[in-house]
Amino acid sequence: MRPAGLGWGLLGVGLVLQLGFIARWWSESEVAPGGLRLLIGLGALLMIGGLARVAPGFAHTRNPVLGFVPAALTLLAFLLTTEALLRAYQVPPGLIPTPTQVLITLHEVRDVLLQDAYQTVVKEALVGYLIGCALGLLTALLVSRYIFLERGFLPYATLFSSIPIVALAPVLVKMMGIDWPSKAAICAITVYFPVVVNTFRGLTEVSPMALDLMRSYAAAEVQQYRWLRLPNALPFIFTALKLGTTLAMIGAIVGEFFGANGQGLGFRIQIEAGRFGFDIVWSAIIVASAAGIAWYGLVVWLERRLTGWHVSFRGG
Amino acid sequence: MSRLSPNLVPMLVVALAVLALYWPIMYLANIPAAQRALDTGAALPCKTAFECATQLRSPVLPSPQQLWNGFLNLMFPLNSPNAIPLNAAVTALETLVGLFLAALVGLFFAIGIVASPAFERSLLPWIVASQTVPIIAIAPMLVVVLGQYGVQGWVPKAIIAAYIAFFPITIGMAKGLKSPDPLALDLMKTYHASPWQTYLKLRFPASLPYLFTAFKVATTAALIGAIVAEISTISFQGIGKMLAENSRASDVVGMWVIMLASAALGILLVALVGGLERLLTPWRQPRSSLERPRVPRAQPEVGV
Repeated sequence: MRPAGLGWGLLGVGLVLQLGFIARWWSESEVAPGGLRLLIGLGALLMIGGLARVAPGFAHTRNPVLGFVPAALTLLAFLLTTEALLRAYQVPPGLIPTPTQVLITLHEVRDVLLQDAYQTVVKEALVGYLIGCALGLLTALLVSRYIFLERGFLPYATLFSSIPIVALAPVLVKMMGIDWPSKAAICAITVYFPVVVNTFRGLTEVSPMALDLMRSYAAAEVQQYRWLRLPNALPFIFTALKLGTTLAMIGAIVGEFFGANGQGLGFRIQIEAGRFGFDIVWSAIIVASAAGIAWYGLVVWLERRLTGWHVSFRGG
Repeated sequence: MSRLSPNLVPMLVVALAVLALYWPIMYLANIPAAQRALDTGAALPCKTAFECATQLRSPVLPSPQQLWNGFLNLMFPLNSPNAIPLNAAVTALETLVGLFLAALVGLFFAIGIVASPAFERSLLPWIVASQTVPIIAIAPMLVVVLGQYGVQGWVPKAIIAAYIAFFPITIGMAKGLKSPDPLALDLMKTYHASPWQTYLKLRFPASLPYLFTAFKVATTAALIGAIVAEISTISFQGIGKMLAENSRASDVVGMWVIMLASAALGILLVALVGGLERLLTPWRQPRSSLERPRVPRAQPEVGV
């Protein structure tokens, strides 16, 4: 074990340098002189060096909170350095707002953004996601049952996975109107194919020995699915479900780029980016990210509840 | 018998079934719209709703005849700046340059992850988080900001494509670099190979299969990135610009044609990567036709 004290020391000095500069330059309106800018660079280097010494100490911890410490420190260092650099070079806030300004804006426009998030996440992405996943699971069950469908349908499913689904967005918005159902449809289609392909793999890649055993017990097909194929498919299904959360969010946001009823995170981002209101754009991105991460986390939690027996979770 | 034969007949049957179902569904979807158009007295060259269903200006589902005409309109002349070929070429260029950039960044991150647990602990959570957030949301802003600093045209689109594509490559590459047999790694150690030699002679070749799987996912992602970047900014060329323009002009048939064209582009680009894969990893024989049809691997998963 290397002495971690030095690493923490470096990190601390770097933090103080950065904070000191930000406090000093808080209300200045000129570009900082070269010496001070060098200090920012020095502070950033010290923090990186400190992180590199501190982080290995957390490499093998099992506590998820402790394991997250290096990542949290990285984010802190990154935000502080960004803030210091933006202030030092006096980048106009209309171009790249400083992190503090984004936080202030986030607080100011929280009501609007929460409404947007409700429209985008709950009405569009979540509804589309549930429909897409349900249809995908059903299709995979059918396809795994009938070899003809497997041969005739599955190649198309793989083909569809290499299609840029965004190109569908404008067509669907024109077909179904600018209200939320068109975006839900985009999300459903985006989520559908990964769910079909992954579920099918899980349902069919069962051990031949286990299948033979089921057969020798004269198990009915329903029993075979209930006790062998479905449990085997769960890890595969969850891989697709996790992927789907991201896809659904992207589908909803891009769908709103093509027309929305005056609400939604994608609509907000599009409008404000056109007006150079980047502090609001960043706030919307933070809200979208938070929603995305929370949703992803929810699926991971479900996965742990339902597939705790799987190899990838054994042994902590 | 060709190698494809076990899938060919069922695939054809399914395709024919979809085509046969398309006509009634098209009529079903269009007749109410046609009736409405007739009722409002729109100038249509047809008398009954049934006839008009195939001739609406903005149909819910376009008829095959309309699609074909739209295709001819948008395809020719081949070198026209408003036709599909040139725009598709621009989007393809952005995608490929983006993929190349993504490969460089992905390689850097992957080596960092494999070589240093500290690097993994401090950066991997954010690399993963960058994917659980709708990264597409950043595209409009990034293009405007880059434009302010004089980076315009297709370059910002390639950068956005790279930003979206680097994640699958990073994860696939990291998995691949970790994949060599521990015995082979021990052997390298007994030969006193330098880390450089271990990477060059063992880890890179071992990572190629994973890399190409990741590349296929990344290609679609990069294409999506390029198209969205074109949509959400002022662009003068590209599939995304065509989509945005036709969307504004409410040219529904045109949008269907462009959608099909971008689907073809996506399939073509992925096939290109597949061809490269066969060229560079000839030791991986394609599976025989007796086995199940090929299914793509599950998306690369990260253990964090």
